This record gives sequence, structure tokens and C-alpha cells, in this order.
Amino acid sequence: MLQFGRFVLTRAVMAMITLIIVSLVVFTLMELVPGDCAERYLAFKNTQGSGISLEDIENERARLGLDRPFVERWASWIIGAFQGEFGDSCILRVNIAQLLGSKFWVSLGICLASLALAYIIALPVGIISAATNSATLNNILRVVSYFGLAMPNFLLALMIMLFSTVYFGETLTGLFSKEYRDAPWDLAKFIDLMKHAWLPIFILGWSATAFALQTVRALISDEIGKLYVTAAAARGVSGARLLWRYPARHALGPIVNSLGFDLNRIFNELPIVALILTLTDAGALLIEALARSNDQQLAGAIIFLLTASIVALNFFTDVLLAILDPRVRKSILR
Amino acid sequence: MTTETQGSAAEPVQDQTAKEAYFTASQGQLIWARFKKQRAAMIAAALLFVLVLSGLFAPFLSPYDPTIAGRNKDYLNGAPTIPMFCDKNGCSSRPFLHALERERSMATNFRWVTTVNEDKRIYMEFFVEGAPYKLFGVIPMNTHLFGMQDGAFIHLFGTDAAGKDIFSRTLHAIWTSLQVGTIGVLIAFVMALVIGGISGYYGGWIDSVIQMVTDAVRTVPPIPLFMAVAAFMPPEMSAEARFFYISVLLGFINWPTLARRVRTHLLTERNQEYVLAAQLCGASSSHVIRRHLLPSFTSYIIVDLVISFPYMVLSETALSFIGLGLKDPVNSLGVMLQNVTSADVLLNYQWYFIPVIFFIALVLAFVFVGDGLRDAADPYSDNNK
Repeated sequence: MLQFGRFVLTRAVMAMITLIIVSLVVFTLMELVPGDCAERYLAFKNTQGSGISLEDIENERARLGLDRPFVERWASWIIGAFQGEFGDSCILRVNIAQLLGSKFWVSLGICLASLALAYIIALPVGIISAATNSATLNNILRVVSYFGLAMPNFLLALMIMLFSTVYFGETLTGLFSKEYRDAPWDLAKFIDLMKHAWLPIFILGWSATAFALQTVRALISDEIGKLYVTAAAARGVSGARLLWRYPARHALGPIVNSLGFDLNRIFNELPIVALILTLTDAGALLIEALARSNDQQLAGAIIFLLTASIVALNFFTDVLLAILDPRVRKSILR
Repeated sequence: MTTETQGSAAEPVQDQTAKEAYFTASQGQLIWARFKKQRAAMIAAALLFVLVLSGLFAPFLSPYDPTIAGRNKDYLNGAPTIPMFCDKNGCSSRPFLHALERERSMATNFRWVTTVNEDKRIYMEFFVEGAPYKLFGVIPMNTHLFGMQDGAFIHLFGTDAAGKDIFSRTLHAIWTSLQVGTIGVLIAFVMALVIGGISGYYGGWIDSVIQMVTDAVRTVPPIPLFMAVAAFMPPEMSAEARFFYISVLLGFINWPTLARRVRTHLLTERNQEYVLAAQLCGASSSHVIRRHLLPSFTSYIIVDLVISFPYMVLSETALSFIGLGLKDPVNSLGVMLQNVTSADVLLNYQWYFIPVIFFIALVLAFVFVGDGLRDAADPYSDNNK
């Protein structure tokens, strides 16, 4: 138990360090955007008719704390970020945490659902395809997974839109029906969300499934030729029982480890799929923040949150793996 | 393996030479021999070759200039025109198109209406003189592979809203994608080699620190990060500068994966005896890296480069698609797809989607060739089969 506690602690510290490095990268990028908040505020005032001088900009900078040294501002940003507080967006002039609010959680939910979908399909299919000798089945699977790799999600989304408009006359876009868009969260809204969310979940899960399928298949077919599997088969274990209990258990470690990367890949596609399907989630906000208004505070917050969820997932999978596999928790401490 | 020895036992002389050729073959020859055995990879390689050639000779193969200069202003959002050999007036050995007539009168309610005149044929011509261009960027030419009589237009894939020929644009876009991918891969490669090389060769705390940073950078989803960086480009930047900037960015953001692979290779290789031997002979670090370590995994690196290529192309496409990447006079798939989400295009002008097929083919070809190369470069892959 003590050993397990130490393992969890080490992992937590490592996750923290990763997040701090990421926050440094993100914060530096935000700083590199030409123009700062003070200039933006005053530029806005200028459009309202009041004249401004250089002195005004300096005063505004001092008021917003932008005259402090870089490291100090970074430190305060990161401390805020860990408390879920990202300050105000200086373009939209609203609090970022409020703006993102449930949108971020909805996006994260959609992404996690597509990740789950990917593995629900990939695990059994991958194991079966590794175990079977049927050439046709293997070739079909290969072609399917290659298409998953080659067809970027946004093209798939475009194609689905093309077919749905041509054949059903409906574009299948958006996340909520009109009457629920601003309604508070309840069961009815959730059901409405689910009615719309299956398409983004499917599209985002598409290439993740292809990747997961390849991983599972490669890992299992590596394990399946090993002697312990032969030995187990010789003892009379056979069929699904053999597959689940021997090669699948051994391949579990790398599969669980690859979850973080798959989530990363899904986040990659999120903004673009969101744009095509006109979703109103964090991904769409990110594009909004960058493409339209150059809103560095909002963009930085979204990128940081996305990365933080990947780091968190990695942390949880590590812990989960340690619970499942004693070899893992011993290896880290040595 | 066993079938080979049995079969060749009948011809001992040939067997001897075959064996000798096998044992004296260079790394490259061995990889090529294994690569040739994979049918899918060979087909993909052929397809890739054709696509690269068509990109390289795009200005020659495409009948018109892909920019606004080559537009057909009388045929906006036009459907593809496919040359035919036969019509109701009989057949011809030369492919032809029916003439299009555009009129606006009281009868059409003063709107431009295009009608096909089925009695008037316009014949296709080959090696016609057209818009001047520079082949490979240097040789000035104005011959195009095909065109139409009397300066009429042919649009194999239709035209877009400005009347630009989608076929010509597609060919040029293939070339753009290949260029972006190549520059990106090269930059990522150099960075990966330097960073991964230092990390893997020196090991110890340098390795730990570099790995920590690399891992942290790797957890950030690249496309959102990419969008953030691309947004800094001032909108008034010229198309060429944008093109260059985007390619460089792609390289800068995609290095961590490659760097990690380089490091892993180096870590396993640097403890081998031959490295120790070289060090004992007094070889310097840079000598050991260049002369002993790098050649030991060149083939792996090439494979990694080929595999990472399609992701560069896809990222560029995605970025241009949302309007943060390349901009109009430069042709790329992303630029061409920018306007297709409108209901108008989805319902009426589906030929806007034709270029997508080419890009899926390009990416698939790269993925298959990469996989084939990976299997071929792995000396142990024979045992698994």
C-alpha cells in the first residue's frame, strides 16, 4: 500500500511538472501575439469616440498588471489556471471561465465518448483479427483502418454532410435544438444533446478507432506467438478464454498507455470538426478566438485545458495500470 | 525460407550465386528486395510515383493557369465537361465537346443561361500553346498537354465560383502539398536529429531534462497549438511568405515524435561494442555520431520520415481549410475546400469534392509505402511471416 502511495505521488508530481512546462509554452505563445490587453481595451475605447494617448496605454498597463516582469505574470497565470481561473478575455471582455463554462465539459465529454467508442470497437475486433488466419478478414480490416488513417476527420465530416444534404435534405449540424440552447441543464437537455452528439462522436471516433485497431492488433499478434500462449493451449485452455486470459492481459499495459495519445489525436480534430458541424463547444470557440479575433487569453486557456485533460488522463491510466499490474508500480521506484 | 532452400537444391550453382548475392548485398539492396515482395506497397509506390510526377509536371498537364488569370469567366460554378467520342450526329476518332452557348434575353428573364448546342462540336487538341509557365520553376514554356480548338475551354472537374479550372488547381495543389510536406519533414528531421541526438548520445541528466520537455511538448495537441501559432501571421503577409511560414511551423511542431525515435535508437546503439571500440581508438563524439551511429539507423529514419509525411500534408490541409493556413493564389486542398460547407455547394456543385479523392490517394499511398518500408527495413520481419 505504501509502495502504491509513493507511486501515485511520483506520478502526480511528474504530471504537475509537465503541466508547468506546457503552461510556460502556452503563456510564451500568448505573449508573442502582437499587441497586449491594454492596447486592445483602449483601441476599443478609441472606437467609442474618446481620444487616447500613450500615457493612457501605460496607465492601463499598470492597472492590468502588464508592467510586471514576465516570470511574475506567468506565475500568477499558472496559479490562477490551477484554480480554474483564467482571467478576462480582453476582446470579448467577459470572464473566460464563465464563457467556457459547461462548453468545455461538453466537448470533453464528446471526446471521451469517442475515445470509448473507439476502444469498444477496436478491442474485440483487434483481438479477433490478430487471432484469425482468414486472409479476407484481415485484408478488409487493413483497408478499413488505412482509410481511417488517410481520411482526416474533417473530410469525413464533409462527406457525411454532403450525403445527408443530398439524400436527406438535412445538414445534421449543431449540438442542441433551438429551445434547449440556453436552457439550464436537466434531463431533457441531456437527451437533446445525445440526439445531436452521436454524429460528432462517431466522426471523432473514426480515426481513433483505426489507430486503436492497429495498436491492439499489433500487440496481440506479437503476444499470441509466444510460448506461454502455446503452453496454455497445450494445457487445454482454448477459444476466447485463452485469448482473454493470456495474450490480452499482457497487451493491456501498452494499450492503456496509448489512451493519452488517442485523446490527443481526438483533440486535434475537435476544432475542425466543430467548425464543419457548427458545434458550439470549446473547439469552435478556439477557432473563433484565433481565426476571427486573435484572442490570446481565450486560446491559451483552451489549449491549456485540453492539455491538462490529456495529462490527467495519462495520470489516471498510469494509476489504473499500477493497480492492474504490479510490475509497473515496482519498475518506477527502482 | 524453407521452401527456398528446397527449391534451389536442384540447382546448386544458382543457389551459390543467389546466396553470395544475399550475403554481399548492401542494406539498401536488402530493403529493396524485401520491399518488392509486398504487393500493396509496390502498388502504392507506383501510385505515389504517378502523383509526384503529375505534381511535378502540373503546369504542363493542366490546360489552364490555376490562378484567377486562367479563369473561364463565362462558366462559373460549371459542371465538369467530359470529352466524348460519339453523339447523336455520329462518332469521331477525335474527342470533342459540345459548344456551350450563353445568352441573356427576354426569354431567359434577363439572367445568364448556359445551353449546350449539341450540333456544334469543338475538338480537343494536344500539345497546344497556352498560358506561359516555367517548368520546374526554370524552363519557360507555353505548351500544354491538351486543350480545345479556338481557345474554347475544357473543364474535366468543372469550375469553381470564380471560374477557375478545378482540374488545373488540383494538379497544382498536389505539388503544393508535396512541397509543404517536404520542407516540414526536413525541418522536423533536422531538429529531431539534433535534439534527439544530444539526448540519446549523452544520456544522464541532459537526457532526462530533454525528455521531460519533449514529453511535455508532445502532450499538447498539435493542431490547436498550430492554430495558435499560425494566428500570429499578419493578414497582409504575401501568399509566398505564408507558404514558407506554414511549412516551417509544421516542422517546428512535429519534431518531438521523431526526436524520441532518434533518441531511442541512439540509446540502444551507443552501448554496442563497435561504439566502444571506436571510442577506445580515440574517436571524437561527433565522429562516432556521424560515422558509426547515424549509418546504423539511417533506414529507420527514412521510414519515419515517410510515415510522418502524410500527417504534415493533412495538418496543412486542415489549417488552410479553416482559413489559418495558405491563402488564395496558392493552391492547396485546404484552400480549395474552404467554401464547400455552404449549403449551395453541398446541394448544387458537388464536383468541388473531386480533389478530395486525389488527396486521399496521396495520403494512402504514403501510408502504404511507409508501412512497406518499415517492414522491409526491419531485418527481423522475415521471421514473423
